[in-house]
Amino acid sequence: MMRAVVMDEAPTLQELPVIEMARPMPGFPEDQRFALVHLDDAGVLGALRSLDHEGLQFLVVPAVQFFPSYAPEIEDDLVAELGIVSADDVLVLLIVHAGESLASTTVNLRAPLVVNTITRRAAQVILEDGSLAVAAPLVA
Amino acid sequence: MLVLSRRVGESVVVGDEVTITVLEVRGDVVRVGIAAPRSVSVHRAELLAELATENQSSASPSEDAVASLTQALRERR
Repeated sequence: MMRAVVMDEAPTLQELPVIEMARPMPGFPEDQRFALVHLDDAGVLGALRSLDHEGLQFLVVPAVQFFPSYAPEIEDDLVAELGIVSADDVLVLLIVHAGESLASTTVNLRAPLVVNTITRRAAQVILEDGSLAVAAPLVA
Repeated sequence: MLVLSRRVGESVVVGDEVTITVLEVRGDVVRVGIAAPRSVSVHRAELLAELATENQSSASPSEDAVASLTQALRERR
């Protein structure tokens, strides 16, 4: 049974000192622990910093701030793996591929980062929908 | 890599919980069915490769790139 996670309001990024990956990120099987930090004052741009490899970080944005109708389905297995009790606890982040300019900056809509802000467990989920781009423009 | 030959309708069992069955062969396309518990992920290899590449390209952008993105997002608000 699939469950759609729907955000009622637009959460900003919260800083989380230690996040554990329940599943390894594609391409980064050895990076298990990360810290989530703000890069701006508005809680829009954040950095997911590896605690296992100094210097490794990913830029992230809360999906709902740029794609308000984006509602990735989270399967029961993932709900259990992340210990999700309420949709309110879930922060959906998109990994940003910074370009030369804002216009050429993209995000991965096909594989969002789903974070349970209560248990601090997260996973980069591979969504079934083939129409979701791996490199979608961040802004129109 | 273990190499086996199968006819349509025949299967291969991997580990204790995964069964792969050849369903149909049409020209150069082989249709394969995979029975696995929900806890075992199944993905096309090229999709995983594409995601790994995208993650690697996105990882650790330069300070300049981060600064200019931060600035551009601030201007947008």
